[in-house]
Amino acid sequence: MDFVPHDEISIKKMLKTIGVNKLDDLFQDIPKDLHLDKLNLPSSISEPDLLRKLEEIANKNKLYSSSFLGAGSYYHYIPSLVDFVISRSEFYTSYTPYQAEASQGYLQAIYEYQTIISRLTQMDIANASMYDGSTALAEAAIMATIISGKNTIILLEGIHPEYIEVVKTYCWGQNINFKIISEDMLENELNENIAALLFQSPNFFGDIEDIIKIAKIVKDKMPECLLIQVMTDPTCLGVLIPPGLTDIDIFVAEGQPFGINPSFGGPGLGIFTAKQKYLRKMPGRLVGKTKEINGDGIGFILTLQAREQHIRREKASSNICTNQALCSLSALVYLLSIGKTGLKEIALQNFQKAHYVKKKLSLIPGYKILNKKPTYNEFLLICPNIDDLIEKCKENNILPPLRVSKYYPNMKDVALVCVTEMNKRSSIDKFIQIAQSTSEQQMEGN
Amino acid sequence: MDYKFPNDINYTSTHEWIKIENNLGTIGITDYAQHQLGDIVFIELPDVGMVFEKGSNAAEIESVKAVGDVLMPLSGEIIETNDNLTNNPELINKSPYKDGWIIKIKINHNDEIGDLLSLEQYKELIEQEDH
Repeated sequence: MDFVPHDEISIKKMLKTIGVNKLDDLFQDIPKDLHLDKLNLPSSISEPDLLRKLEEIANKNKLYSSSFLGAGSYYHYIPSLVDFVISRSEFYTSYTPYQAEASQGYLQAIYEYQTIISRLTQMDIANASMYDGSTALAEAAIMATIISGKNTIILLEGIHPEYIEVVKTYCWGQNINFKIISEDMLENELNENIAALLFQSPNFFGDIEDIIKIAKIVKDKMPECLLIQVMTDPTCLGVLIPPGLTDIDIFVAEGQPFGINPSFGGPGLGIFTAKQKYLRKMPGRLVGKTKEINGDGIGFILTLQAREQHIRREKASSNICTNQALCSLSALVYLLSIGKTGLKEIALQNFQKAHYVKKKLSLIPGYKILNKKPTYNEFLLICPNIDDLIEKCKENNILPPLRVSKYYPNMKDVALVCVTEMNKRSSIDKFIQIAQSTSEQQMEGN
Repeated sequence: MDYKFPNDINYTSTHEWIKIENNLGTIGITDYAQHQLGDIVFIELPDVGMVFEKGSNAAEIESVKAVGDVLMPLSGEIIETNDNLTNNPELINKSPYKDGWIIKIKINHNDEIGDLLSLEQYKELIEQEDH
C-alpha cells in the first residue's frame, strides 16, 4: 500500500497549472551538490520484524525503580486523569488551536490554565505558556530591557547553569550585557544601567532564597530595577510564599513537575507571569474571555495580539507566536486533579522526605550537607566517595543524584540530591544504606 | 473615502499633525491615520519633560489590529500629555484633531518647521497612498 497521496496524473496536472515542466524544476534554486538522489535506507522488513527491532532498541533503556535525581527535571506523581484528558484526540492531535471559530474547547482550556497559574502564583497575569523554564527566563530578561530601556541585566549565582546558557544565547542576539554576581555583591552592583535582577529560588543548589530581603535591597536602591524570579520545581508553591505577594515583577518557572513526565529531559512547559502593568510588554499568546455579539453566550479568543510579532513586527518584545498547548493542558488537569490541599500535601511530603534524607545523611561519617539556607526537596551533599555512591546506586536500580562537577568542575565530591513524594520509605532506606556502605569502605581504606 | 483635514495645521508624511502657536506645538494623528488603525484601545504616552528628536518615537497607539508609532513632527520637549486618552483612547477615533490630541511640545529648532507638509501636500500624499 502506498501512503503517498499524489499519483503521477495529479502531479502532472498540478505542475501544468503552475507552469512547471517537471518536479525537479521546483528545486532548481537549491545548489546541485545539495540535491539528494537517493535515500540510503535498508531494504524493507515486515511489521512484526520492525516491532521486534524497535523493542530491542527500547530495551536498551534502563528503567530505575526509584530516583534521587532532580536538577531541573522532577519525578512527581501524575494522576491518571492527566493522560486520560490530554489523550483525547480533540486535544492531542490539534495543531495551532487558536482559531476562535474552530477551537473553543482548547481556547477555554488555555484560559483556565492562565487563570489557575495566576491564582497559584498570585501574579496578576499569566500567558498561555512558553517552551520551557529556561526560555521563559530569557524572554523575561529581554522583556525587562524593553520595559526599562536599559540593556544590562544581573544574574544571582544559583540559577540553573543550563538556564544561564540559554539566557546568554538570547542576550547575545539582543546585545544585552549580563553579569553573574553573588548575593553579597548585590548592593554594589546595582546602578541606574541595570534593567533587571534575575534569581532562582529555590535555587540550583537547593537553597530557598530570602526573597523579601533581596527585593528590599533592590527596590530600596533602584526602585526601577525589575525583579525576576525563576524556579524549576513549582510544586514548592504549595508551601512557599507566592511571588505575587512579594515585589517580584516577573515570575517564571519550569512547569514540567505539573503532570508532565521527565522523559529524556523534555518537553517542558514555560510558566510566565507578570504584574498587570507589564501586560503590553509580555511575550507569548494570551487567551481572553469575551461575550457574543448576538446573545448572552461567552467565548474565548486570542487577545491583545497587537503585542505580538506578527503585528508589531520588529518592535515586539519576542518572536514567539505559539504556546506549549498540550503541556499547559497537562499542568491544568494536574492542578485541578490535586487541588489546593493536594498541592500543599505534595509540597509537605517533598519537604519532609527530603529533610529526613538530609538529616540521616548528615549523621553518616564523611558526609556533609553544604546548604546554609533552608531547602525544599534538593540539597548539596559532600560525599567521601562520589564515584562509588553513584556506581552502587545504579547497581541497586536507583537513579543516582547529580554529580555537581558536571557543571562546576571544582565541586568534585558534591552531589545534588533530590527527594520527592515518589521516593518510598524502602528506597530511601536503601539509598541511605548505600551511602553508609561507601562511607565505611572509605574509612577502612584510610 | 472622505477624511477631514483642517487647514490651520501642518502635517507629516507619517500621518501626524501639529498645530503651531508661538513656540509651542500640539500633536496628534490625522483622520486618515485613525481610520487606518481602526478602533484604538490603548495609548502609551511619554513623560512630561522628555526630549525627543524630530522623527523619533514619542508615543505608541494600539488598535484592535495594529500598533502605530507617533513620531515627533519636530524636535522638542514634552510639556503636556493628554491624560484623558489613558482611559478613553477612542477619543482619537472620535475627534482626532480636538479631544484626541496626544502631546504638547516646546519646539526646539524653528528651522525644522519648513520640512512639515502643508494641507495640499498632505492631501496629495493621501491620494497616492489610498490608490
